[in-house]
Amino acid sequence: MTAKAAGSSALGFQPVAKGGSSSARMKLSMLLSLLSVLAFLGIWTFVTEMHIVKPVFLPSPLSVLKEAASLVQSGELWVSILASSKRVFSGFFLAAALAVPLGVLIGVWWPAKAIVDPFISLLRPLPSITWIPLSILWLGIGEAQKIAIVFMGSWVYILLYTVESTKRVDPILIRAARNLGAGDLTVMKDVVLPGALPGIIAGLKVTLAISWSCVITAEMVAAQNGLGALIWTAKDWGNMPLVLVGMVCISLTVLVADWIMLRLERLLLPWERNRRA
Amino acid sequence: MATVLSAESVSKIYKVEGAPEVQAVQNLSLNIEEGEFVCIIGASGCGKSTLLNMFAGFSKPSSGRILLKGQPIEGIEPRCGMVFQSYALFPWKTVRGNVEFGLKMKGKDAASRRQIAERFIEIVGLKGFEDRYPTELSGGMQQRVTLARILAADPEVLLMDEPFAALDAMTRQVMQEELLRIHEANKKTTVFITHNIDEALILADRIVVLSTRPGKVKAIMNNDLPRPRHITIQLSNEFNERKNEIWSHVEEEVRKHVNIQN
Ligand SMILES: Nc1ncnc2c1ncn2[C@@H]1O[C@H](COP(=O)(O)OP(=O)(O)OP(=O)(O)O)[C@@H](O)[C@H]1O
Ligand SMILES: [Mg+2]
Repeated sequence: MTAKAAGSSALGFQPVAKGGSSSARMKLSMLLSLLSVLAFLGIWTFVTEMHIVKPVFLPSPLSVLKEAASLVQSGELWVSILASSKRVFSGFFLAAALAVPLGVLIGVWWPAKAIVDPFISLLRPLPSITWIPLSILWLGIGEAQKIAIVFMGSWVYILLYTVESTKRVDPILIRAARNLGAGDLTVMKDVVLPGALPGIIAGLKVTLAISWSCVITAEMVAAQNGLGALIWTAKDWGNMPLVLVGMVCISLTVLVADWIMLRLERLLLPWERNRRA
Repeated sequence: MATVLSAESVSKIYKVEGAPEVQAVQNLSLNIEEGEFVCIIGASGCGKSTLLNMFAGFSKPSSGRILLKGQPIEGIEPRCGMVFQSYALFPWKTVRGNVEFGLKMKGKDAASRRQIAERFIEIVGLKGFEDRYPTELSGGMQQRVTLARILAADPEVLLMDEPFAALDAMTRQVMQEELLRIHEANKKTTVFITHNIDEALILADRIVVLSTRPGKVKAIMNNDLPRPRHITIQLSNEFNERKNEIWSHVEEEVRKHVNIQN
Protein backbone atom coordinates (compact mmCIF):
# COMPACT_ATOMS: atom_id res chain seq x y z
CA MET A 1 0.00 0.00 0.00
CA THR A 2 2.62 2.49 1.03
CA ALA A 3 4.95 1.34 -1.73
CA LYS A 4 2.20 1.84 -4.23
CA ALA A 5 1.37 5.26 -2.89
CA ALA A 6 4.99 6.30 -3.10
CA GLY A 7 5.60 5.07 -6.60
CA SER A 8 2.46 5.31 -8.61
CA SER A 9 1.13 8.82 -8.36
CA ALA A 10 0.57 9.73 -11.96
CA LEU A 11 1.18 13.42 -11.35
CA GLY A 12 4.54 12.79 -9.69
CA PHE A 13 3.39 13.91 -6.27
CA GLN A 14 5.75 12.56 -3.69
CA PRO A 15 5.06 11.81 -0.05
CA VAL A 16 7.01 14.27 2.10
CA ALA A 17 8.93 11.55 3.88
CA LYS A 18 10.37 10.09 0.72
CA GLY A 19 14.07 10.90 0.52
CA GLY A 20 14.90 10.48 -3.15
CA SER A 21 18.26 11.60 -4.47
CA SER A 22 18.18 15.35 -4.77
CA SER A 23 20.47 15.42 -7.79
CA ALA A 24 18.11 13.13 -9.68
CA ARG A 25 15.28 15.44 -8.68
CA MET A 26 17.29 18.40 -9.92
CA LYS A 27 17.89 16.82 -13.32
CA LEU A 28 14.25 15.97 -13.63
CA SER A 29 13.13 19.46 -12.72
CA MET A 30 15.58 20.95 -15.21
CA LEU A 31 14.21 18.65 -17.87
CA LEU A 32 10.68 19.72 -17.00
CA SER A 33 11.64 23.39 -17.23
CA LEU A 34 13.26 22.80 -20.59
CA LEU A 35 10.19 20.96 -21.88
CA SER A 36 7.88 23.71 -20.74
CA VAL A 37 9.96 26.35 -22.54
CA LEU A 38 10.09 24.22 -25.71
CA ALA A 39 6.36 23.65 -25.56
CA PHE A 40 5.79 27.38 -25.21
CA LEU A 41 8.05 28.15 -28.18
CA GLY A 42 6.35 25.38 -30.13
CA ILE A 43 2.89 26.77 -29.57
CA TRP A 44 4.11 30.28 -30.33
CA THR A 45 5.70 29.11 -33.59
CA PHE A 46 2.62 27.13 -34.52
CA VAL A 47 0.07 29.90 -34.02
CA THR A 48 2.20 32.51 -35.78
CA GLU A 49 3.48 30.42 -38.71
CA MET A 50 -0.03 29.07 -39.36
CA HIS A 51 -1.30 32.68 -39.30
CA ILE A 52 -3.77 31.84 -36.55
CA VAL A 53 -2.49 35.04 -34.98
CA LYS A 54 -1.54 37.83 -37.38
CA PRO A 55 2.14 38.85 -37.36
CA VAL A 56 1.20 42.48 -36.61
CA PHE A 57 -0.16 41.32 -33.30
CA LEU A 58 2.52 38.81 -32.48
CA PRO A 59 5.62 38.19 -34.60
CA SER A 60 6.88 34.64 -34.92
CA PRO A 61 9.89 33.42 -32.92
CA LEU A 62 11.76 33.04 -36.18
CA SER A 63 11.35 36.68 -37.12
CA VAL A 64 12.40 37.70 -33.61
CA LEU A 65 15.50 35.54 -33.95
CA LYS A 66 16.29 37.07 -37.35
CA GLU A 67 15.89 40.54 -35.93
CA ALA A 68 18.15 39.67 -32.99
CA ALA A 69 20.80 38.20 -35.29
CA SER A 70 20.92 41.29 -37.47
CA LEU A 71 21.08 43.47 -34.37
CA VAL A 72 23.96 41.43 -32.96
CA GLN A 73 25.74 41.61 -36.29
CA SER A 74 25.44 45.37 -36.58
CA GLY A 75 26.64 45.68 -33.00
CA GLU A 76 23.62 47.79 -32.14
CA LEU A 77 22.46 45.38 -29.46
CA TRP A 78 25.63 45.63 -27.43
CA VAL A 79 25.59 49.39 -27.69
CA SER A 80 22.05 49.43 -26.27
CA ILE A 81 22.78 46.99 -23.49
CA LEU A 82 25.94 48.82 -22.57
CA ALA A 83 24.22 52.22 -22.58
CA SER A 84 21.43 51.04 -20.27
CA SER A 85 23.82 49.12 -18.01
CA LYS A 86 26.04 52.15 -17.54
CA ARG A 87 23.09 54.29 -16.50
CA VAL A 88 21.79 51.67 -14.09
CA PHE A 89 25.18 51.10 -12.60
CA SER A 90 25.89 54.81 -12.08
CA GLY A 91 22.49 55.63 -10.60
CA PHE A 92 22.41 52.51 -8.46
CA PHE A 93 25.94 53.05 -7.22
CA LEU A 94 25.26 56.68 -6.29
CA ALA A 95 22.05 55.68 -4.53
CA ALA A 96 23.83 52.98 -2.53
CA ALA A 97 26.71 55.31 -1.68
CA LEU A 98 24.25 57.77 -0.19
CA ALA A 99 21.64 55.46 1.27
CA VAL A 100 23.75 52.78 2.98
CA PRO A 101 25.75 55.10 5.26
CA LEU A 102 22.70 57.29 5.84
CA GLY A 103 20.62 54.22 6.67
CA VAL A 104 23.14 52.95 9.20
CA LEU A 105 23.24 56.40 10.78
CA ILE A 106 19.45 56.55 10.96
CA GLY A 107 19.36 53.07 12.43
CA VAL A 108 21.65 53.93 15.32
CA TRP A 109 21.05 57.63 15.90
CA TRP A 110 17.50 58.82 16.38
CA PRO A 111 17.97 62.53 15.46
CA ALA A 112 19.04 61.48 11.97
CA LYS A 113 15.84 59.50 11.69
CA ALA A 114 13.76 62.47 12.80
CA ILE A 115 15.41 64.70 10.20
CA VAL A 116 15.12 62.33 7.25
CA ASP A 117 11.82 60.60 8.04
CA PRO A 118 9.43 63.21 6.58
CA PHE A 119 11.26 63.20 3.26
CA ILE A 120 11.22 59.43 3.08
CA SER A 121 7.50 59.38 3.71
CA LEU A 122 6.87 61.90 0.94
CA LEU A 123 9.33 60.53 -1.62
CA ARG A 124 8.63 56.85 -1.22
CA PRO A 125 5.18 56.82 -2.87
CA LEU A 126 6.43 58.73 -5.93
CA PRO A 127 7.06 56.49 -8.95
CA SER A 128 10.37 57.42 -10.53
CA ILE A 129 8.57 58.36 -13.75
CA THR A 130 7.09 61.39 -12.00
CA TRP A 131 10.60 62.83 -11.76
CA ILE A 132 11.00 62.89 -15.52
CA PRO A 133 9.64 66.43 -16.17
CA LEU A 134 11.71 68.03 -13.41
CA SER A 135 14.83 66.05 -14.21
CA ILE A 136 14.62 67.08 -17.89
CA LEU A 137 14.14 70.70 -16.87
CA TRP A 138 17.17 70.59 -14.59
CA LEU A 139 19.48 68.22 -16.41
CA GLY A 140 18.39 68.15 -20.05
CA ILE A 141 17.99 64.78 -21.75
CA GLY A 142 21.59 63.59 -21.45
CA GLU A 143 23.15 60.86 -19.35
CA ALA A 144 22.84 62.81 -16.10
CA GLN A 145 19.07 62.87 -16.41
CA LYS A 146 18.80 59.09 -16.88
CA ILE A 147 21.13 58.50 -13.97
CA ALA A 148 19.09 60.86 -11.84
CA ILE A 149 15.91 58.92 -12.60
CA VAL A 150 17.59 55.67 -11.56
CA PHE A 151 18.93 57.36 -8.46
CA MET A 152 15.55 58.80 -7.45
CA GLY A 153 13.86 55.46 -7.99
CA SER A 154 16.42 53.49 -5.99
CA TRP A 155 17.79 55.34 -3.02
CA VAL A 156 14.70 55.26 -0.84
CA TYR A 157 14.45 51.47 -1.06
CA ILE A 158 18.10 50.98 -0.26
CA LEU A 159 17.69 53.35 2.66
CA LEU A 160 14.66 51.55 4.05
CA TYR A 161 16.31 48.15 3.81
CA THR A 162 19.46 49.47 5.45
CA VAL A 163 17.60 51.13 8.32
CA GLU A 164 15.58 48.01 8.95
CA SER A 165 18.58 45.66 8.92
CA THR A 166 20.57 48.03 11.11
CA LYS A 167 17.83 48.00 13.71
CA ARG A 168 17.74 44.22 13.65
CA VAL A 169 21.36 43.80 14.66
CA ASP A 170 21.26 41.81 17.90
CA PRO A 171 21.84 44.33 20.73
CA ILE A 172 23.65 41.69 22.73
CA LEU A 173 26.42 41.73 20.11
CA ILE A 174 26.81 45.47 20.60
CA ARG A 175 26.99 44.87 24.34
CA ALA A 176 29.56 42.14 23.87
CA ALA A 177 31.70 44.42 21.71
CA ARG A 178 31.56 47.27 24.22
CA ASN A 179 32.26 44.83 27.01
CA LEU A 180 35.42 43.86 25.14
CA GLY A 181 36.41 47.53 24.99
CA ALA A 182 35.00 48.71 21.64
CA GLY A 183 34.20 52.40 21.22
CA ASP A 184 31.36 53.96 19.17
CA LEU A 185 33.24 53.90 15.89
CA THR A 186 34.36 50.29 16.23
CA VAL A 187 30.85 49.25 17.17
CA MET A 188 29.54 50.89 13.98
CA LYS A 189 32.26 49.50 11.75
CA ASP A 190 32.83 46.06 13.26
CA VAL A 191 29.40 45.18 14.64
CA VAL A 192 26.51 47.19 13.23
CA LEU A 193 27.71 47.21 9.64
CA PRO A 194 28.59 43.51 9.31
CA GLY A 195 25.51 42.62 11.35
CA ALA A 196 23.30 44.56 8.96
CA LEU A 197 25.15 43.53 5.82
CA PRO A 198 23.09 40.46 4.90
CA GLY A 199 19.93 42.58 5.06
CA ILE A 200 21.55 45.45 3.18
CA ILE A 201 22.66 43.15 0.39
CA ALA A 202 19.21 41.59 0.19
CA GLY A 203 17.86 45.12 -0.20
CA LEU A 204 20.40 45.93 -2.91
CA LYS A 205 19.34 42.85 -4.84
CA VAL A 206 15.69 43.85 -4.78
CA THR A 207 16.52 47.45 -5.61
CA LEU A 208 18.70 46.52 -8.56
CA ALA A 209 15.65 45.18 -10.40
CA ILE A 210 13.81 48.40 -9.57
CA SER A 211 16.75 50.43 -10.94
CA TRP A 212 16.44 48.56 -14.20
CA SER A 213 12.79 49.37 -14.59
CA CYS A 214 13.62 53.03 -13.87
CA VAL A 215 16.20 53.22 -16.63
CA ILE A 216 13.90 51.59 -19.17
CA THR A 217 11.15 54.07 -18.33
CA ALA A 218 13.53 56.99 -18.61
CA GLU A 219 14.86 55.75 -21.96
CA MET A 220 11.38 55.25 -23.36
CA VAL A 221 10.48 58.85 -22.66
CA ALA A 222 13.59 60.56 -23.91
CA ALA A 223 16.75 58.86 -25.10
CA GLN A 224 18.75 58.21 -28.25
CA ASN A 225 20.01 54.80 -27.16
CA GLY A 226 19.57 52.09 -24.59
CA LEU A 227 17.17 49.17 -24.44
CA GLY A 228 14.19 51.34 -23.54
CA ALA A 229 14.80 53.60 -26.53
CA LEU A 230 15.27 50.55 -28.73
CA ILE A 231 11.84 49.26 -27.82
CA TRP A 232 10.17 52.63 -28.14
CA THR A 233 11.57 53.46 -31.58
CA ALA A 234 10.79 49.93 -32.77
CA LYS A 235 7.22 50.53 -31.72
CA ASP A 236 7.12 53.76 -33.72
CA TRP A 237 8.28 51.89 -36.82
CA GLY A 238 5.84 49.10 -36.16
CA ASN A 239 8.75 46.65 -35.88
CA MET A 240 7.26 44.19 -33.39
CA PRO A 241 10.07 41.62 -33.67
CA LEU A 242 12.48 44.32 -32.53
CA VAL A 243 10.22 45.19 -29.60
CA LEU A 244 10.36 41.57 -28.49
CA VAL A 245 14.12 41.41 -28.94
CA GLY A 246 14.38 44.43 -26.65
CA MET A 247 12.15 42.82 -24.02
CA VAL A 248 14.07 39.56 -24.04
CA CYS A 249 17.33 41.50 -23.75
CA ILE A 250 16.06 43.36 -20.69
CA SER A 251 15.15 40.08 -19.03
CA LEU A 252 18.50 38.51 -19.81
CA THR A 253 20.50 41.56 -18.73
CA VAL A 254 18.67 41.78 -15.40
CA LEU A 255 19.27 38.05 -14.88
CA VAL A 256 22.98 38.58 -15.46
CA ALA A 257 22.94 41.51 -13.04
CA ASP A 258 21.22 39.31 -10.44
CA TRP A 259 23.82 36.64 -10.93
CA ILE A 260 26.60 39.17 -10.40
CA MET A 261 24.93 40.32 -7.19
CA LEU A 262 24.74 36.73 -6.01
CA ARG A 263 28.47 36.29 -6.58
CA LEU A 264 29.11 39.53 -4.77
CA GLU A 265 26.98 38.37 -1.87
CA ARG A 266 28.98 35.18 -1.50
CA LEU A 267 32.17 37.17 -1.57
CA LEU A 268 30.98 39.66 1.04
CA LEU A 269 29.22 37.24 3.39
CA PRO A 270 31.58 34.30 3.80
CA TRP A 271 30.08 33.49 7.20
CA GLU A 272 26.77 32.61 5.60
CA ARG A 273 28.42 29.93 3.50
CA ASN A 274 26.99 27.02 5.48
CA ARG A 275 23.47 28.45 5.42
CA ARG A 276 23.56 28.38 1.64
CA ALA A 277 24.77 24.83 1.39
CA MET B 1 41.64 41.82 51.01
CA ALA B 2 40.16 44.65 49.05
CA THR B 3 36.61 44.68 47.83
CA VAL B 4 36.55 44.79 44.04
CA LEU B 5 32.86 44.68 43.21
CA SER B 6 29.99 45.50 45.47
CA ALA B 7 26.24 45.68 45.25
CA GLU B 8 24.71 48.01 47.84
CA SER B 9 20.99 47.44 48.49
CA VAL B 10 20.41 46.88 44.81
CA SER B 11 16.92 46.45 43.41
CA LYS B 12 15.92 45.99 39.81
CA ILE B 13 12.40 46.37 38.49
CA TYR B 14 11.65 45.65 34.84
CA LYS B 15 8.87 47.72 33.34
CA VAL B 16 7.59 46.38 30.07
CA GLU B 17 4.74 48.10 28.29
CA GLY B 18 1.55 46.12 28.39
CA ALA B 19 2.84 43.68 31.02
CA PRO B 20 2.94 43.81 34.80
CA GLU B 21 6.28 45.03 36.11
CA VAL B 22 8.69 42.41 37.33
CA GLN B 23 10.87 42.83 40.36
CA ALA B 24 13.89 40.75 39.44
CA VAL B 25 16.22 41.72 42.30
CA GLN B 26 15.28 43.13 45.68
CA ASN B 27 17.49 44.94 48.12
CA LEU B 28 20.50 42.80 47.43
CA SER B 29 23.89 43.53 48.97
CA LEU B 30 27.01 41.59 48.15
CA ASN B 31 30.76 42.23 48.23
CA ILE B 32 33.17 40.46 45.94
CA GLU B 33 36.74 40.47 47.22
CA GLU B 34 39.90 40.65 45.15
CA GLY B 35 41.03 37.32 43.74
CA GLU B 36 37.93 35.58 44.95
CA PHE B 37 35.88 33.03 42.99
CA VAL B 38 32.22 33.52 43.87
CA CYS B 39 29.49 31.24 42.60
CA ILE B 40 25.90 32.43 42.57
CA ILE B 41 23.23 29.77 42.53
CA GLY B 42 19.49 30.12 42.46
CA ALA B 43 16.39 28.89 40.70
CA SER B 44 15.70 29.81 37.09
CA GLY B 45 14.33 33.32 36.75
CA CYS B 46 15.45 34.48 40.19
CA GLY B 47 17.49 37.39 38.85
CA LYS B 48 20.99 35.97 38.48
CA SER B 49 21.58 37.25 34.96
CA THR B 50 20.00 40.55 35.96
CA LEU B 51 22.53 40.96 38.76
CA LEU B 52 25.43 40.04 36.52
CA ASN B 53 24.24 42.49 33.85
CA MET B 54 24.33 45.23 36.43
CA PHE B 55 27.87 44.25 37.42
CA ALA B 56 28.87 44.56 33.76
CA GLY B 57 27.13 47.93 33.45
CA PHE B 58 24.65 46.69 30.84
CA SER B 59 21.77 47.89 32.97
CA LYS B 60 21.40 50.22 35.90
CA PRO B 61 19.85 49.25 39.23
CA SER B 62 16.41 50.73 39.86
CA SER B 63 17.70 51.64 43.28
CA GLY B 64 20.93 51.05 45.18
CA ARG B 65 24.45 51.19 43.79
CA ILE B 66 26.95 48.98 42.07
CA LEU B 67 30.58 49.86 42.78
CA LEU B 68 33.74 48.74 41.05
CA LYS B 69 36.73 49.47 43.26
CA GLY B 70 34.64 52.01 45.13
CA GLN B 71 33.52 53.87 42.03
CA PRO B 72 29.93 53.64 40.74
CA ILE B 73 29.73 51.86 37.40
CA GLU B 74 28.70 54.24 34.63
CA GLY B 75 27.83 52.42 31.44
CA ILE B 76 29.32 49.27 30.00
CA GLU B 77 32.45 48.36 31.87
CA PRO B 78 35.25 46.63 29.90
CA ARG B 79 37.07 45.90 33.17
CA CYS B 80 34.30 43.39 33.96
CA GLY B 81 34.45 40.88 31.12
CA MET B 82 31.27 38.94 30.49
CA VAL B 83 30.71 35.40 29.31
CA PHE B 84 27.15 35.52 28.04
CA GLN B 85 24.58 32.81 28.69
CA SER B 86 23.59 33.15 25.02
CA TYR B 87 27.18 33.13 23.66
CA ALA B 88 26.99 36.51 21.83
CA LEU B 89 29.66 35.56 19.32
CA PHE B 90 30.11 37.70 16.23
CA PRO B 91 28.71 35.50 13.44
CA TRP B 92 30.80 37.27 10.80
CA LYS B 93 34.06 36.56 12.56
CA THR B 94 35.84 33.25 12.66
CA VAL B 95 36.73 31.59 15.95
CA ARG B 96 40.10 33.29 15.74
CA GLY B 97 38.53 36.64 14.87
CA ASN B 98 36.20 36.41 17.83
CA VAL B 99 38.95 35.49 20.26
CA GLU B 100 41.22 38.25 18.94
CA PHE B 101 38.56 40.96 19.21
CA GLY B 102 39.28 42.07 22.77
CA LEU B 103 43.02 42.03 22.11
CA LYS B 104 42.50 44.22 19.07
CA MET B 105 40.54 46.69 21.19
CA LYS B 106 43.51 46.81 23.53
CA GLY B 107 45.71 47.79 20.61
CA LYS B 108 47.80 44.61 20.52
CA ASP B 109 49.65 44.02 17.25
CA ALA B 110 48.61 41.27 14.87
CA ALA B 111 51.39 38.85 15.74
CA SER B 112 50.86 38.88 19.49
CA ARG B 113 47.07 38.80 19.00
CA ARG B 114 47.40 35.68 16.98
CA GLN B 115 49.73 34.07 19.45
CA ILE B 116 47.56 34.80 22.49
CA ALA B 117 44.39 33.76 20.68
CA GLU B 118 45.99 30.51 19.64
CA ARG B 119 46.89 29.74 23.22
CA PHE B 120 43.37 30.23 24.54
CA ILE B 121 41.76 28.43 21.63
CA GLU B 122 43.96 25.48 22.53
CA ILE B 123 43.05 25.72 26.22
CA VAL B 124 39.35 25.46 25.44
CA GLY B 125 40.03 22.52 23.14
CA LEU B 126 39.20 24.13 19.81
CA LYS B 127 42.54 23.76 18.09
CA GLY B 128 41.88 23.09 14.42
CA PHE B 129 38.65 25.12 14.42
CA GLU B 130 40.30 28.55 14.26
CA ASP B 131 38.93 29.38 10.83
CA ARG B 132 35.40 28.16 11.38
CA TYR B 133 32.48 30.54 11.77
CA PRO B 134 30.36 30.25 14.94
CA THR B 135 27.33 28.87 13.08
CA GLU B 136 29.50 25.99 11.98
CA LEU B 137 30.12 24.92 15.58
CA SER B 138 27.97 23.08 18.10
CA GLY B 139 26.44 25.00 21.02
CA GLY B 140 29.03 23.71 23.44
CA MET B 141 31.85 24.67 21.11
CA GLN B 142 30.42 28.17 20.73
CA GLN B 143 30.28 28.51 24.48
CA ARG B 144 33.94 27.57 24.68
CA VAL B 145 34.76 30.24 22.12
CA THR B 146 33.14 32.90 24.30
CA LEU B 147 35.23 31.63 27.18
CA ALA B 148 38.42 31.85 25.13
CA ARG B 149 37.41 35.30 23.92
CA ILE B 150 37.06 36.68 27.42
CA LEU B 151 40.11 34.91 28.83
CA ALA B 152 42.19 36.34 25.98
CA ALA B 153 40.83 39.83 26.61
CA ASP B 154 42.02 39.45 30.20
CA PRO B 155 39.66 41.83 32.06
CA GLU B 156 40.15 42.61 35.75
CA VAL B 157 36.98 40.79 36.75
CA LEU B 158 35.39 37.79 35.05
CA LEU B 159 31.62 37.58 34.99
CA MET B 160 30.32 34.23 33.81
CA ASP B 161 26.67 33.47 33.22
CA GLU B 162 26.23 29.70 33.26
CA PRO B 163 29.12 29.26 30.87
CA PHE B 164 29.10 25.47 31.01
CA ALA B 165 25.35 24.91 30.97
CA ALA B 166 25.28 23.90 27.31
CA LEU B 167 28.20 21.48 27.55
CA ASP B 168 27.90 17.74 27.81
CA ALA B 169 28.85 16.26 31.18
CA MET B 170 32.32 15.17 30.09
CA THR B 171 33.34 18.38 28.36
CA ARG B 172 31.92 20.22 31.31
CA GLN B 173 34.27 18.47 33.71
CA VAL B 174 37.24 19.16 31.51
CA MET B 175 36.28 22.83 31.28
CA GLN B 176 35.77 23.06 35.04
CA GLU B 177 39.22 21.67 35.53
CA GLU B 178 40.69 24.15 33.04
CA LEU B 179 38.95 27.01 34.77
CA LEU B 180 40.22 25.81 38.16
CA ARG B 181 43.74 25.70 36.80
CA ILE B 182 43.46 29.14 35.20
CA HIS B 183 41.98 30.66 38.32
CA GLU B 184 44.52 29.12 40.63
CA ALA B 185 47.27 30.47 38.38
CA ASN B 186 46.03 34.04 37.92
CA LYS B 187 43.69 34.47 40.92
CA LYS B 188 41.37 36.60 38.87
CA THR B 189 38.28 37.87 40.64
CA THR B 190 35.39 35.84 39.22
CA VAL B 191 31.63 35.86 39.60
CA PHE B 192 30.20 32.65 38.21
CA ILE B 193 26.53 31.81 37.86
CA THR B 194 25.40 28.22 37.85
CA HIS B 195 22.41 25.99 38.50
CA ASN B 196 24.67 23.22 39.56
CA ILE B 197 25.68 22.74 43.19
CA ASP B 198 28.53 20.38 42.31
CA GLU B 199 29.95 22.92 39.92
CA ALA B 200 29.73 25.64 42.56
CA LEU B 201 31.51 23.45 45.11
CA ILE B 202 34.26 22.51 42.70
CA LEU B 203 34.98 26.08 41.62
CA ALA B 204 34.03 28.56 44.32
CA ASP B 205 35.67 30.14 47.32
CA ARG B 206 32.26 31.41 48.32
CA ILE B 207 28.79 30.32 47.29
CA VAL B 208 25.89 32.76 47.30
CA VAL B 209 22.41 31.25 47.29
CA LEU B 210 19.71 33.55 45.91
CA SER B 211 16.06 33.23 46.82
CA THR B 212 13.36 32.85 44.18
CA ARG B 213 12.24 36.04 42.50
CA PRO B 214 12.69 38.74 43.57
CA GLY B 215 16.31 37.72 44.07
CA LYS B 216 17.75 38.36 47.51
CA VAL B 217 20.75 36.82 49.18
CA LYS B 218 19.36 33.81 50.97
CA ALA B 219 22.61 32.36 52.28
CA ILE B 220 26.35 32.73 51.79
CA MET B 221 28.66 29.83 52.40
CA ASN B 222 32.42 29.75 52.55
CA ASN B 223 33.71 26.83 50.58
CA ASP B 224 36.94 25.88 52.31
CA LEU B 225 37.65 22.76 50.27
CA PRO B 226 41.43 22.84 49.92
CA ARG B 227 43.15 24.29 46.85
CA PRO B 228 44.61 23.45 44.44
CA ARG B 229 41.54 21.45 43.71
CA HIS B 230 40.92 18.75 41.26
CA ILE B 231 37.50 17.66 40.05
CA THR B 232 37.95 14.33 41.79
CA ILE B 233 37.16 16.30 44.94
CA GLN B 234 33.56 15.45 44.12
CA LEU B 235 34.23 11.99 45.48
CA SER B 236 35.28 13.15 48.96
CA ASN B 237 33.16 13.15 52.11
CA GLU B 238 33.73 16.83 52.82
CA PHE B 239 32.33 17.57 49.40
CA ASN B 240 29.13 15.69 50.08
CA GLU B 241 28.66 17.24 53.51
CA ARG B 242 28.79 20.69 51.94
CA LYS B 243 26.55 19.63 49.15
CA ASN B 244 23.91 18.60 51.67
CA GLU B 245 24.25 21.86 53.49
CA ILE B 246 23.73 23.90 50.33
CA TRP B 247 20.88 21.72 49.24
CA SER B 248 19.09 22.41 52.51
CA HIS B 249 19.14 26.12 51.61
CA VAL B 250 18.28 25.63 48.00
CA GLU B 251 15.58 23.03 48.36
CA GLU B 252 13.07 25.36 49.92
CA GLU B 253 13.59 27.90 47.13
CA VAL B 254 13.34 25.33 44.40
CA ARG B 255 10.08 24.05 45.87
CA LYS B 256 8.71 27.58 45.97
CA HIS B 257 9.76 28.09 42.39
CA VAL B 258 8.14 24.88 41.24
CA ASN B 259 4.92 25.81 43.02
CA ILE B 260 4.90 29.19 41.34
CA GLN B 261 5.20 27.49 38.01
CA ASN B 262 2.28 25.14 38.69
N1 LIG C 1 15.02 42.79 29.83
C1 LIG C 1 14.03 42.33 30.61
N2 LIG C 1 12.81 42.90 30.56
C2 LIG C 1 11.81 42.46 31.33
N3 LIG C 1 11.91 41.46 32.21
C3 LIG C 1 13.10 40.86 32.32
C4 LIG C 1 14.22 41.25 31.52
N4 LIG C 1 15.27 40.47 31.85
C5 LIG C 1 14.83 39.63 32.78
N5 LIG C 1 13.53 39.85 33.09
C6 LIG C 1 12.73 39.14 34.10
O1 LIG C 1 13.43 39.21 35.29
C7 LIG C 1 13.42 37.95 35.95
C8 LIG C 1 14.83 37.49 36.24
O2 LIG C 1 15.47 37.21 35.00
P1 LIG C 1 16.98 36.73 34.92
O3 LIG C 1 17.31 36.61 33.49
O4 LIG C 1 17.83 37.62 35.73
O5 LIG C 1 16.88 35.29 35.60
P2 LIG C 1 18.02 34.19 35.83
O6 LIG C 1 18.13 34.00 37.28
O7 LIG C 1 19.24 34.53 35.10
O8 LIG C 1 17.33 32.90 35.20
P3 LIG C 1 18.02 31.68 34.39
O9 LIG C 1 18.68 30.82 35.40
O10 LIG C 1 16.85 30.99 33.77
O11 LIG C 1 18.96 32.26 33.41
C9 LIG C 1 12.64 37.00 35.07
O12 LIG C 1 11.33 36.90 35.59
C10 LIG C 1 12.59 37.68 33.74
O13 LIG C 1 11.37 37.44 33.10
MG1 LIG D 1 20.19 33.78 33.44
